[in-house]
Amino acid sequence: MIQVERLCKRFLDYERGWKSAVEDVSFDCRPGEILGLLGPNGAGKTTTLRILSTVLRPTSGRAIVAGHDVVVDPQGVRANIGYMSASTGIYDRMTAWELVEYFGRLYGMGRGPLRERMETIFDWLKMNDFRDVLGSKMSTGMKQKASIARTIVHDPPVLIFDEPTSGLDVLVARAVLQKILELRDLGKTIVFSTHSMHEVEKLCSKVAVIYKGRLRATGSPGRLLEEFDQPDLEELFFYLVERVDSGRDVAEARVGPVNANP
Amino acid sequence: MTDLFFLDGGRDERAGMKTKFRWSNLWIIMRREVRDQIRDRRTLFMIFVLPILLYPMLMFGMLQVLSALEQKPRVVVVVGSENLPPAPPLLDPSGKGFSPDLFDSPGDAGRMVVERQDATSDWADPRTAESAIRHGLASAVVIIPKDLRDQLKRDVEIAIPIQYNSVDEPSQITQLRLKDMLARWKVSIVAGRLARDRKDKSYTEPIEVRALDVATADEKGGNVWSRLFPFLLVMMSLTGAFYPAVDLCAGEKERGTMETLLISPASRSEIVLGKFLTVMLASVTTAILNLLSMGLTGMQVARQFGEMGGGAGRRAVAASFAAPSPQSAFWMLVLLIPLAAFFSAVCLALAVLARSMKEGQYYMTPLYMICLPLVFLTLSPEIELNLFNSLLPITGVALLLRALIMGNYDTAAQFFLPVLVPTLIYAAVALRWAIDQFQREDVLFREAERFNVVAWLRHLIRDREPTPTGAQAVLCFALILSASWFLTLYLSSRGAGVDLATVAAGQLMIMIPPVIMAFMLTRCPFRTLRLTIPEGRYLLLALGLVIALNPLVNELRPLVEWLFPIRRQIAETLGKMMAQAPSLPIAILSLAIMPAVCEELAFRGFILSGLEHQRRTRSAIVLSAFLFGFLHVLLSLFQQLFNATLLGVVLGLLAVRGKSLLPGIVFHAINNAWAITLPRLVGMKSLQPALSAVFRDPAQGLYHEGWLALGVVCSAGLLYHLWRLRFIRPPEPSLAAPVVVP
Repeated sequence: MIQVERLCKRFLDYERGWKSAVEDVSFDCRPGEILGLLGPNGAGKTTTLRILSTVLRPTSGRAIVAGHDVVVDPQGVRANIGYMSASTGIYDRMTAWELVEYFGRLYGMGRGPLRERMETIFDWLKMNDFRDVLGSKMSTGMKQKASIARTIVHDPPVLIFDEPTSGLDVLVARAVLQKILELRDLGKTIVFSTHSMHEVEKLCSKVAVIYKGRLRATGSPGRLLEEFDQPDLEELFFYLVERVDSGRDVAEARVGPVNANP
Repeated sequence: MTDLFFLDGGRDERAGMKTKFRWSNLWIIMRREVRDQIRDRRTLFMIFVLPILLYPMLMFGMLQVLSALEQKPRVVVVVGSENLPPAPPLLDPSGKGFSPDLFDSPGDAGRMVVERQDATSDWADPRTAESAIRHGLASAVVIIPKDLRDQLKRDVEIAIPIQYNSVDEPSQITQLRLKDMLARWKVSIVAGRLARDRKDKSYTEPIEVRALDVATADEKGGNVWSRLFPFLLVMMSLTGAFYPAVDLCAGEKERGTMETLLISPASRSEIVLGKFLTVMLASVTTAILNLLSMGLTGMQVARQFGEMGGGAGRRAVAASFAAPSPQSAFWMLVLLIPLAAFFSAVCLALAVLARSMKEGQYYMTPLYMICLPLVFLTLSPEIELNLFNSLLPITGVALLLRALIMGNYDTAAQFFLPVLVPTLIYAAVALRWAIDQFQREDVLFREAERFNVVAWLRHLIRDREPTPTGAQAVLCFALILSASWFLTLYLSSRGAGVDLATVAAGQLMIMIPPVIMAFMLTRCPFRTLRLTIPEGRYLLLALGLVIALNPLVNELRPLVEWLFPIRRQIAETLGKMMAQAPSLPIAILSLAIMPAVCEELAFRGFILSGLEHQRRTRSAIVLSAFLFGFLHVLLSLFQQLFNATLLGVVLGLLAVRGKSLLPGIVFHAINNAWAITLPRLVGMKSLQPALSAVFRDPAQGLYHEGWLALGVVCSAGLLYHLWRLRFIRPPEPSLAAPVVVP
């Protein structure tokens, strides 16, 4: 379960002073749900997800992840999430097995249960043939699998994927998306950021459109299309972006039409 | 100490909720990092291969050059050898060399080969000889005068010219050897004459100079080592720390694994300590392997030289390469660990700033540029280990290493703690800095930005915070130091001595930077400088503490002066300055009240507020006290370090708890004023009974044991009470406050 309420994050910039990267963002996501965080580059998706994973501290607002507040109990949050992004790499001088084992140990898993869990994961992701291959020798697909294994080794209830498919070829991207769907079916709470409409359509039961640091709309894709009278997600997205750029959205700077926190 | 600095696993989350430090996580991280480094070829090469190969190869190269220079005998042409007298002999019987009696050893004699030429040959012409020397046919030409035998009989002064080329080094050396040898020959001629005339030896040599070498065998051995070794050891432990640190921080950022690690449940302290211990292990290993390799190579060389026999020169060379004694080696290892810890922490904190390995490498040059001068100091025999040098971060350790290698165990023992403790403190501060760096979002997720000085200055003014940052506090201290330093230089260039006016000027230099910085760089200068009216009880506490602590403070001073005596010259200057004060009120004003106000504004005002910025009050108090002590070392006497630092802690606690500078000023002023007044009271006859009731030594201000015990108990009680008086800082009106959204 993820609940985000009026989250703000400001950064200090020498040239311009304090600047908002994320402003007044609210949404929620329940177990068995995939929330798609849709937005162009620089919209504030990564900042939002980094706040949820506790590496950034919100300037204001609240975020509860798996029952723990990201500010009050960051350790509790970190123990219950799995985080993966296109930029989270793997260690060059460690084998796939060692990598997953290392993080399993950091998550406080005992040797016996960890071994069992790893066998299950390696079977599920079909990683057994490159168990002992060093990170530097792995193909991109292998690296992504190793990353997924690392993300889920401690069986966290909440999973956060920050553009997990960016830069991957279609085959690997498809495999990654497939695994995310399978994880959803296991009842995980999943937040997934992307700039691809296609992926949102395929995966998400709920979408949050973020642009220039603010949430522009939240809700199930079907309801949003109906609400804004748009034929598909792509049109909806451009409609929302244009509305902001033309200045029409300034007056409606409140949270999107389907509020996550009624 | 550890609790104070590191083991606050949860505080790094700044969540207000403490979590336990988990050693298991530290162990897991460290094990991974060590394995990672062992799998890295570059690290392996730097740590293991380089030291093992470097020294034997260096020595081999050196020996080759030496032997090439040594073994080649130089040709000396002796023109007119037929004119030499039969006794004492100059040439050996074969006529191919000089007489071995004229050298220290047969080996030395073998270095010159004689080529005999008749006086009638071409060689007698100086131009022929010159061209032969230029073309390398001979290293030197000795011309024996035709009438040498006659001259010898007539007791006149004889000139024997040697032709050589001073620009050509072998020729120059040959000339010097020839001179030495001819001097001995001369001595034997003189001996013959003395015997003939039945005169005593003292007739020709009224004075004999005897140089007695007091160096022990250990010291002789340590000579080359002691110069080179601290330098190499320090630089090697720095190098050993640098590469792994860059790999473990910048490299991890570059590969994108840092974020993953930060999102794991391991706390920042656990992550940093895990990495720190790995880097330290690498640093210590590098240094020890260098030490071993150098020692073994040195021993090998020493043995080779020993076997080759030869003169005193060779024996000295052999001795100078002998390895240090096991005792020295052990203490060197003990010293090496805090040094490695210091380097490891500094390297980590720097390396985490870098976004990539490449950027990390750039930081190495400035780091070396700072370390090199500090180590170079040890290459000069003029620089000795004293209390001031022992406080310098790297110099202290290097000088102590030198003393250990030279076998100066007395010096080494005296300064072991003064070097070890500051080094440990520096290492702890550096490690704290590294952990702080790991908690800063702007460091961990740093992005390339264009740096513009004007924009940055504008930002400093525009985005001011209520109180200064830690960096601004350190900058303030640096400004105070350099301002005072330049003032001292200026005054001494104007010929001004140490008097009350210069002391007052020095105090202004301490006060000006913090006051200007507080008004320019913070939004609440009065809160920064703690210019508020305190609660009455804090004034009372200050009063009580200064009285209760006085016996203890006075007891400490002679103890420190006994351990580290004040140079007489300085003591006299100080005495003069005190005597010069025209009256007690003026002395109190300039030596008690002014320092109290100025130093409190700087150290308990701006600097402590800045160090407290991260809400780490205890470390801030200790650190500000240490800076306070350090200022006294630089500006007056290093003997004041201990008192100033200890009182700095009390003053810091008063300032933090009382939320005001006033209690500290009262404490500081009374403490100084009493120290000035007491010596004047000693002279007054009427006060004698009262003074002797309180003091066992009024001139030194030493109290009777009873008063001392009472003082200790009271100050302990008061300090404990002050410590317990915690207060919660009011919430800061900061830009980070919740933003109201319409």
